[in-house]
Amino acid sequence: MARIAGIDLPNKHTEIALTYIYGIGRTTAREICEKTGIDPNVRIKELSTDDVAKLRKIIENDYKVEGRLRSEVALNIKRLMDIGCYRGLRHRKGLPVRGQRTKTNARTRKGKVKTVAKKKK
Amino acid sequence: MSRSIKKGPFIAKSLYKKIVDQSKASKKQMIKTYSRTSTIIPEMVGLTISVYNGKTWVPVYVTEALVGHKLGEFAPTRMFRGHGGDKKSKR
Repeated sequence: MARIAGIDLPNKHTEIALTYIYGIGRTTAREICEKTGIDPNVRIKELSTDDVAKLRKIIENDYKVEGRLRSEVALNIKRLMDIGCYRGLRHRKGLPVRGQRTKTNARTRKGKVKTVAKKKK
Repeated sequence: MSRSIKKGPFIAKSLYKKIVDQSKASKKQMIKTYSRTSTIIPEMVGLTISVYNGKTWVPVYVTEALVGHKLGEFAPTRMFRGHGGDKKSKR
């Protein structure tokens, strides 16, 4: 099994398998296939070791993936929180950052519904 | 979508004038402004600008990290005091 950037690639078409790496989507995967001259429809197991080495090299050199990308994202968020701007405050509170409504919905950011007991009359 | 480069960053003229004056005068004084939409530009670094949040002026000390943001981002307009029942968690 091909192992690239610390991820075991599943035996799927190269174009799809590459998207299992954090930071690589369909567009980037297609781009990589084009650059390395690998047919995007070939399954991972059918790739030669040479091809895998090529993929590994190009991903390591030209793309920011996995750990490095994650830490970059985390740093960007941390920067916002440190300077105390509005977006940082929203991140701190775990509320939506981009101006969405919070009266309803926003459950992705807020987490599971916490039910509050009704007021007694 | 971001603003066109040709136009440069937006900053209210009245505020810009105050900042230019401030850099000439050696004495540093608080600048009060209503212009929350003005971009923080490198010339403001080191100044303290009081930004109006609809009620009071919030002093914002400008550092290099704030350049490129808008003044209003640092003066919150809403204050959440918690919901009715939770008296314990009241700040």
